[in-house]
Amino acid sequence: MDDLRLLKKLGEGSYAVVFEAQDRAGTRFAVKQLKDAPASWAECVRQPEIAALRKVQHRNVLRLHRLVVVGDSASAGKSSVLLVSELLEADLFESLEAMHLRAQRPRPEHIRWLGRELLSGLSAIHEAGVLHRDLKPENVMLAGPGSPSGCAAKLVDFGQAKDVRSAKARRADWTAYVATRWYRAPELLLGAARYTGAVDVWACGVLLAEALTGRPVFPGDSPSNQLFKIAATLGAPQTSWPDAPRIAAAAGRLPVLQEHNSGGRGPMAAAAAAAVADPAGEGVDPKRAAEAARAFADEDASVLARPVATLEDKWKLLPAFLAVRGLVRQHVESYDHFIEEELEQIIKANSMIRSEADPRFFLEYTGVSVGRPSIEQDLMESDVTPHECRLRDLTYSAPIRVNVRYTRGRQIVRHNGVLIGRVPVMLRSCRCVLRGKSDAELAPLQECPYDPGGYFVVKGCEKVILTQEQLSKNRIIVELDPKGAVSASVTSSTHERKSRTVITTKHGRIHLKHNTIGDDVPVVAVLRAMGVTSDQEIVQLVGSEPELQDALAPSLEETLELGILTQAQALEYIGARIRARRASSALVGMQGGPSASSYSRRDEALNVLSTVVLSHVPTEGDAFRSKRIYLALMVRRVLLTQLGRSDLDDKDYYGNKRLELAGQLLSLLFEDLFKRFNSDLRRAADAVLSKPNRAAAFDVINSVRTDTITMGMTQALSTGNWTLKRFRMERAGVTQQLSRLSYISALGMMTRVTSQFEKTRKVSGPRALQPSQWGMLCPSDTPEGEACGLVKNLALLAHVTSDRDPEPVRRLCFDMGVEDAECLCGEELHGGAYLVFLNGLLLGAHRRPYDFAKAFRIFRRAGILGEFVSVYVHDGLRAVNIASDGGRICRPVVVVEQGQPRLTARHMRDLAAGLVDFNSLLSTGVLEYLDVNEENNCLIALREADITRATTHLEIDPVTILGVVAGLIPYPHHNQSPRNTYQCAMGKQAMGTIARNQFERIDTVLYLMVYPQKPMVRTRVIDMIGFDEIPAGQNAIISVMSYSGYDIEDAIVLNKASLDRGYGRCLVMKKFMTTIRKYPNQTYDRIVGKPLEDDLPADMPASTRRQVERLSAIDEDGLPMVGEDVKPGGVLVNKQMPANTTDHFDNPDLPPDGYKPAPLSYKGAEKGFVDRVMLSSTTADTTLIKVLMRQVRRPELGDKFSSRHGQKGVCGLIVPQTDLPFTDEGVCPDMIMNPHGFPSRMTVGKMIELIAGKAGLQDGKRRYGTAFGGDRVVDISAALVRAGYHYAGKEVLTSGITGEPLKGYVFFGPIYYQKLKHMVMDKMHARARGPRAVLTRQPTEGRSRDGGLRLGEMERDCLIGYGASMLLLERLMISSDEFQAEVCTSTECGGLLSYGGWCQFCRSGRHVRKVRMPYACKLLFQELQAMNICPRLTLEPL
Amino acid sequence: MADASFAAGAAAAGGAPVPVDAPAKLQYVCGNCNALNNIKPREPVRCRACGYRILYKMRTTRLTQYEAR
Repeated sequence: MDDLRLLKKLGEGSYAVVFEAQDRAGTRFAVKQLKDAPASWAECVRQPEIAALRKVQHRNVLRLHRLVVVGDSASAGKSSVLLVSELLEADLFESLEAMHLRAQRPRPEHIRWLGRELLSGLSAIHEAGVLHRDLKPENVMLAGPGSPSGCAAKLVDFGQAKDVRSAKARRADWTAYVATRWYRAPELLLGAARYTGAVDVWACGVLLAEALTGRPVFPGDSPSNQLFKIAATLGAPQTSWPDAPRIAAAAGRLPVLQEHNSGGRGPMAAAAAAAVADPAGEGVDPKRAAEAARAFADEDASVLARPVATLEDKWKLLPAFLAVRGLVRQHVESYDHFIEEELEQIIKANSMIRSEADPRFFLEYTGVSVGRPSIEQDLMESDVTPHECRLRDLTYSAPIRVNVRYTRGRQIVRHNGVLIGRVPVMLRSCRCVLRGKSDAELAPLQECPYDPGGYFVVKGCEKVILTQEQLSKNRIIVELDPKGAVSASVTSSTHERKSRTVITTKHGRIHLKHNTIGDDVPVVAVLRAMGVTSDQEIVQLVGSEPELQDALAPSLEETLELGILTQAQALEYIGARIRARRASSALVGMQGGPSASSYSRRDEALNVLSTVVLSHVPTEGDAFRSKRIYLALMVRRVLLTQLGRSDLDDKDYYGNKRLELAGQLLSLLFEDLFKRFNSDLRRAADAVLSKPNRAAAFDVINSVRTDTITMGMTQALSTGNWTLKRFRMERAGVTQQLSRLSYISALGMMTRVTSQFEKTRKVSGPRALQPSQWGMLCPSDTPEGEACGLVKNLALLAHVTSDRDPEPVRRLCFDMGVEDAECLCGEELHGGAYLVFLNGLLLGAHRRPYDFAKAFRIFRRAGILGEFVSVYVHDGLRAVNIASDGGRICRPVVVVEQGQPRLTARHMRDLAAGLVDFNSLLSTGVLEYLDVNEENNCLIALREADITRATTHLEIDPVTILGVVAGLIPYPHHNQSPRNTYQCAMGKQAMGTIARNQFERIDTVLYLMVYPQKPMVRTRVIDMIGFDEIPAGQNAIISVMSYSGYDIEDAIVLNKASLDRGYGRCLVMKKFMTTIRKYPNQTYDRIVGKPLEDDLPADMPASTRRQVERLSAIDEDGLPMVGEDVKPGGVLVNKQMPANTTDHFDNPDLPPDGYKPAPLSYKGAEKGFVDRVMLSSTTADTTLIKVLMRQVRRPELGDKFSSRHGQKGVCGLIVPQTDLPFTDEGVCPDMIMNPHGFPSRMTVGKMIELIAGKAGLQDGKRRYGTAFGGDRVVDISAALVRAGYHYAGKEVLTSGITGEPLKGYVFFGPIYYQKLKHMVMDKMHARARGPRAVLTRQPTEGRSRDGGLRLGEMERDCLIGYGASMLLLERLMISSDEFQAEVCTSTECGGLLSYGGWCQFCRSGRHVRKVRMPYACKLLFQELQAMNICPRLTLEPL
Repeated sequence: MADASFAAGAAAAGGAPVPVDAPAKLQYVCGNCNALNNIKPREPVRCRACGYRILYKMRTTRLTQYEAR
């Protein structure tokens, strides 16, 4: 021992300690000291480890130099054994880790070398009869080129080795509890009593695969989980390893493995097959196994390079997510929250009504409930379905009923179920009849199973409350004010009021700005007013760092100069600057006294400070304590930013945004209406109670008017004007009518997010795509033009949170060691600890923020906290922010722990089998929601291969960054980005199937396709949203070539035969509606049937004949016959109105001449067919008649088509099939597209779609073009080649005109084309003469009014430039509004307009001359005269 | 208005006023239970069998011809 010097400790295990040592010659060794000292030398050499090492001398096995026994061998306790062996550089684990950190991967040849090394080592020990039994990266050491044996990998640590030839080993059973779990062979996992060297070879294979991929291959977290992981990759044991059941049975374990169909066999398969090739028999046959394994190690590198055991089916979480939450979950969830929680809170907050007239009077709300959707008709309440509401123009609403306690006379009365109004019901919400219904149950309700819900039906219109984006409320935002000074602002928002507080700097002094306080007030004065009187305390609250003290000094001096030293002085100062005198001050002032004004002023200042300034910070207990700290924090933020120690906040950062959803908007509206309802009730009570004598006791229930709430709600929803008196808020365009152009447009509308930003402002910030929008908002789906970037769409998995009670979170925080801010002084707050905020309010401080956040997350994953509560640590501000508020946008991700995703193949299989759902994965902590802020504390790996030890989360699937609409695009990752944006706009205009109930619907206009098809190239998103079932488009065979010249500028050429077969054929349904009314004078409209042929005179004048012809479709009941055709201008409902609807008649049945005709006539360019005639009644007793007209249109010249890649084009030519080119198989294209469409647009995705679709046609399997995934081009090309086609989809075409083959190959195959709603028939317009506007006598404007075609100012400029004055005169006057005006030329009046040849001013007609001028000019003169401006005309002879 | 002259003319010239009450043969199908109903003017539109308030007019019995292009 004396010649060895221990240098340092290299490591310590449970059995031994390893040191680095040096002998006198300077050679270095590794010395392993066993902790359990053997009793004797004999026992020592019998130790398996030592025995094994002594037995084997091999290049790839650790070389044992000598054994040293130290200490007194007699006293066993002190002696120890040292194993002196060669010193090796690094173990495999460390070197792999190091490579991983440098983002390097070992090359396949390295792996092969490693495999050979390890296997030769293994075969050496196996030949010696030793099983290593604990092979893992940590137990493989690498020797560098400098070592005596040269580059080598060596097996070390034989602590678990077993000599199979020993007598003991032959007798007893072997333990299966060997090897580290991830490297345990299946037979060990199954508990085999005997095993072979195969277990080492297995571990070697796993190790090699791990070295290759950079991460553990089978990272099981329990023995059974380990088995599942192996089976998921290698297939069922029955097939790959027939002995498994037998071994399991022998070990007394039932085989837990079932048949698992997994095609993906990684490189492990070979190793495993080799490892288990030897049935668990008696002898060890290491040779065979090793040979097989060596063959594996020599295998081709491409096999090894294949990804191993990835969770390929991870995307299946998406449908699971959608199944649980639905596509419009955020709307429905927020509405449910409103109905089930907020409504009650609002009623509770406004539960008391008292009257000023009678102090004894009160009305108290004790409960509230929302009933089922119903309508009131004929004084009866009956249940109603959404579709009935659509058809009958009703509002789908439910009654709100309250329980009340109130005084009637001298007694207190209870009344339950008082109707106070109706609230519109969101479809598929908790109150909707459609909630939880199966497809079969929806059918009798005439509802489409694919309809997402989330909208309202108001007066028959489907209305969506768009999600509104705002800057978050109640958070400090540090920004530059318009003058360029740093300022911190907070928008406080409580149920009562909204106000904005700004802390800003002026000349180095810090001031507070608030809209109730006129001037900017020194913030120190405000702090004084809040009760911080000493300068020291102020400085400590802000922070006592020297720089901060210096920065704060001017502000402190300022108050000194102003003489504000006490709280009273400060209050006085602020009170004098408060803008609006409040009602309370008038009351105080009335009490009189000399100091009344100053007293009230102080009182008022105190009142404003406690209730208005920073109103979201509670002021209870030690009244201003938390507000002072909050204010000081704002000052601190400003100063730190000024000093450059922290940054300005980014307003466009999405973590600073909140989304306002339908439920929140409705709750704001309802609270406003409910307050108005209560004040109406109070006023009614006051009016009655103030009268001295009453006949009967006043019953307040009789003065309840339900209209306030009912009408207020329906009005707001149908107009989109949100008027909130409390906040003086007036917002227009909050709701929009649900677009039913196509299924996609309806879906797209439900995910839309609009920003409150002004569209006119020329700032790019709010419009730009923020990195924080990743996975939350779709990067492609935004409109072009003015709303670009301001209107956004939610990504597929994004979710918007609802408000959640922060109280449990608060308690938990304190339980987890947050020190309450109430108990800390300023010095302690800004000392070493991190501040903890809950929803923007300071909770306290914590000394170990990361531990706190980690523990917090553990609690959340365990389901103790709400899944949407987020926590993140902000190092810059030294703060931990916890958020439980609503409107945050968040998304689910897979949790990764210690480099292992918690989501395993087993979860996926259970999910597929329906054993678990998305929510249970959330509650077990496999998945979790992250909001934008928390993402900053996470390292989210995009794919499994990117996982390192630092990774905290794994994306579910990269497709989820896209939204629903962009999800339709095949191969979007191959397209230029604006093209995807264009497609997002066009996908919403595509015709197709709208819903399963489309023929039951009577919409204003409905565009339907006659033969829609499923796309040949689909995406995962298409599968998920059910687009395949209600598609919008057709797979056209297109040939990319130039043809006829009518295909320039993106025009397309269509095959006439295809059109005959029904390509692009569509239905256009239009609604015509009228009502049969009853008038106040008891008269009513009537419908008159068609006159009988016999009743008509034979010699009708032509005009009358025309009138009769217009009635051709009318039946005897005056309504059109279903199925009849109606020509433009034809009558649909032959209605007549009473000529007089005001005067009273004794007999309401008027004589025939008492009516005037008011027919409903068909307006359209082409004839249509009557599709449906519906009769119903609205709630008021008016009869409603809806006539649905149908047109079938085939594509014509000028109709618009587009593929799914933002490539639109109009039809330029329709060619008979005989003239079209054809392939050698005789296939003729449906459509010809010009190749010039490709180079500048760079829509490579479209080309891939074509070849993928073509390959799909060959084998009848539709391909996937999912974003960042999908079928690969090599596979597609291979399929094409297999089917005998060119790999790139090109074909030889023969000209249909000349019969000769075309020169060059033509790109030819199917592409999914959409027919867009813009059709020539709806746009075509020309007019020579026609109607004129009444006021100006100029031609009317617009096609719908048969308007003229305007010669605009630019056209006018051309004519002026050219000097075509007579043409100008003709266009602008003669053909427009020429007018013969009369002008008096007498000097008396000086050229005034005169009328009828008589000048009213001169009282003569002598000087009146006729002048031609535009009528608009004459109108102008008259209008000027009306404004007391006198225009005069001076005439000169021509 | 041209319509006015016609409607008044037809009623005046034809002698017998156009029957306002629809003849019994005109029937309407209930949107809920498919029962056939008659409707009288100024009566609420309602199915006599099930009380549903949406009725549809039946298809014409006249011969109709469609262009099949």
